[in-house]
Amino acid sequence: MDGGSGMKVVHYLNQFFAGLGGEEAAGHEPVRIEGAVGPGRGLAAAGLPVDVTLACGDDHFGEHEAEALARLLNWLEEEEPDVLVCGPAFGSGRHGYACGSLAREAGRRGVPVVSAMTPDNPGVLAAEGAAYIVPTGSNVTEMRTILPVVAALAGRLARGEPVGPSEEEGYLPRGLRKNVLADVTGAARAVDLLLAKLAGDTRTEVAPSGDRVPPPSAVVDLSRATVALVSEAGCVPQGNPDRLPSRHSNMWLRYPLGGVSSLGADAYESVHGGFDTAAANDDPNRLVPLDAVRELEAEGRIGKLHDVFYTTTGVDTPVAAAAKFGQEIAAELHEANVQAVILTGT
Amino acid sequence: MGIPTVFVTALPTIAQMVGANRILRGVSITHPTGDPSLAVGDEHAFRRRIVERALEMLATDVEPTTVWEVSE
Amino acid sequence: MGRHSAAPPLELGTYEVVEASFGPSTSWKAGNLVVDLESLRGSAAKEPAVEAVEVHLVRPGDPVRVANVLDAVVPHVKADDPEATFPGVLGRLAPAGRGRSNRLGGVTVLSVCDLRAAGLVEEDEVWETFVDMAGPGADRSGFGSTANVVLTFTPRSDAPAADVDLAVRKATLRVARELAATTIGATPDRQETFRPIGARQGGEDLPAIAAILQVGSEGPFLDTFLYGLRMEGLVPTALDPREVLDGALTNGAFEWAGSRNPTALYQRNALIRELYEADGKRLRFAGLVVALGYLNTAFEKQRSAMLSARLAQLLGADGVVCTTFETGNSHTDTMLTVRACEQLGIRTTAILTETNGGLTDHVPEADCIVSVGNEDELVAGWSPDHVIGASAARAGEPVPTWAYLGATCQMGDLRWTAVPA
Repeated sequence: MDGGSGMKVVHYLNQFFAGLGGEEAAGHEPVRIEGAVGPGRGLAAAGLPVDVTLACGDDHFGEHEAEALARLLNWLEEEEPDVLVCGPAFGSGRHGYACGSLAREAGRRGVPVVSAMTPDNPGVLAAEGAAYIVPTGSNVTEMRTILPVVAALAGRLARGEPVGPSEEEGYLPRGLRKNVLADVTGAARAVDLLLAKLAGDTRTEVAPSGDRVPPPSAVVDLSRATVALVSEAGCVPQGNPDRLPSRHSNMWLRYPLGGVSSLGADAYESVHGGFDTAAANDDPNRLVPLDAVRELEAEGRIGKLHDVFYTTTGVDTPVAAAAKFGQEIAAELHEANVQAVILTGT
Repeated sequence: MGIPTVFVTALPTIAQMVGANRILRGVSITHPTGDPSLAVGDEHAFRRRIVERALEMLATDVEPTTVWEVSE
Repeated sequence: MGRHSAAPPLELGTYEVVEASFGPSTSWKAGNLVVDLESLRGSAAKEPAVEAVEVHLVRPGDPVRVANVLDAVVPHVKADDPEATFPGVLGRLAPAGRGRSNRLGGVTVLSVCDLRAAGLVEEDEVWETFVDMAGPGADRSGFGSTANVVLTFTPRSDAPAADVDLAVRKATLRVARELAATTIGATPDRQETFRPIGARQGGEDLPAIAAILQVGSEGPFLDTFLYGLRMEGLVPTALDPREVLDGALTNGAFEWAGSRNPTALYQRNALIRELYEADGKRLRFAGLVVALGYLNTAFEKQRSAMLSARLAQLLGADGVVCTTFETGNSHTDTMLTVRACEQLGIRTTAILTETNGGLTDHVPEADCIVSVGNEDELVAGWSPDHVIGASAARAGEPVPTWAYLGATCQMGDLRWTAVPA
């Protein structure tokens, strides 16, 4: 049964927008709610009645992504919606990431998806082009103006109406690339393109996409600055007590550095699955240069070293997940008034 | 308002491509801030030099996606 | 450059196979290949590090998925010196790329071994390698369209990895030689003559184009072999491109199905053929450099890129095509090579695979890239009637393009590319 509009609409929200609670409910398991909730009522008012709302705590999704997705997709499959709306997530990286990930999986199952979030939300990457994402600012007060845009776009998709390219319609470019058979081999095209380039006509079949952040201003006085260490080298205490994955990490961790002046081989190790960790395990300072930083701290070259270091594993880790970790770690560093970061990569 | 970050990596071209702004070329994929071929004392001094360069970069305004070497 | 024009040509005869079947003895006649499975099995099982071998013959259209494929090899024999076929690894050491060589068209030998189940490699999804003979994935690998003689190896449980590696490669090459040897003395369907490059007169005003072929050599099951020895530590080296067509270069790297270079693609080699075809008409084929990717340190990567560019310059190249081996930080080697060449005034085109996250690496000088497709694109699920080489092989589930052998080979042998959706 649909909401009377002739189309079946499912709406995904996080715990906050679904009215399950605030941060304390971020660990909420996935739930299915009949009808519209919260912003879903705004969608209905804008002409897109919501039949079913699915919700999940942002932290629960982040920590149990596979299971959460499985449950959500199960419900989605039962509903057979004409369109799925995720969010709006605005600037919330965790909510956006969940929206984008669900969008990606729903897209694989043939469900059209509309979402809304800031252009640099990791959810955009997570969606991998599956969703039509309406760009927003980070202010939730935009909700009233965004909902009608989302509703209109979702309605058209649900009715199977054609949607034009992103430049015309105003959603974020989806960056989708599909594989097709060219007339000739890649080798033939390479020779053709090279000869054309030598003749002054340079063309390419693919170019990098970039999201750029301008360089932050330099630290004015290092001798008074708090500097933090962050690494994707998989550096963890011996025994990997919190089970940081060796590949395709779904988590980052923080460990205390109070009183630690060097990363000893007996106390730390690397679990990174993308390189030979022998040299690093003999001396983990080769991955996270704690001993040298402590020396320079003692000499007053920096104000102080932040009392925790952040660690994750950067191999096979999807870009969207990495972007989310970066935003979350940055938020903590910002909160702790860290003024500079040394980030090591392998 | 971003936090200046220096990324120590042996793959500066990837770092440039994804938009890291302060990039310090690390020694190796397997040991960005170390060199097992050096004697212990020398390696320690070398790592100190790496961190000093990193700090120098943090205290310097840069153009986007700038790569520095440890010894220049 | 000397008297190279006196070097003998490579006469490559192709003998097409339109019909492949089992029979009491292996033979080729007028397009019909008969395969004595038992005899081939015995030939392959000769290696001490091999416990057992099964042999199957699969044809395009069969509802079969071949899983855990290691290498694909075009049946090939040096007709005037069969003992020197695949020199250095199977055959006696002798320069490849000259004399008479015969190969079968329409048939490939596939080696299969579940290295993970045998405990020879870490449990890791990137070893997954499929060739589908039918279904939506059949046109992904480039081997769904040939009749395939599939050798499924069970290693001896106590044999060291390096012994198993060598045994499987030798046995596979031996079978490839044996199949091609059936054509010795017969008239080929197609005869090609490859003269030494530079032997062709004229064309001095044409742009000189070289190829820089990237290979990887990181250890057992991760190596490339040049005349039988692994290439780790090799500085960028000039080869006669005909050596590559004629079995001097063999693959021993079995990770990353889609973007590795099976031996068959070194042999078939669309890039070398393209350059030969255009030689004297649109360009002068200046030569071929092989260089390693996946070098570990920034210094080694930069040094190798510099040496490759200098060698291309020594060959007189105005432009180079840079190929890539597999995925990940080898793309950095490609980009550094592009940059080093451009800095010497040598223009470049690179061949790369894309991912869902776009390009893996990039430098501003890389303004001319051929895309062999998005390796993350999912191919629709298929339930084959039979699976060779594995018990579970994603039957019915969507399969990422990267899991199909050679699907995004960055030497440019297939016609796949990616376009905006």
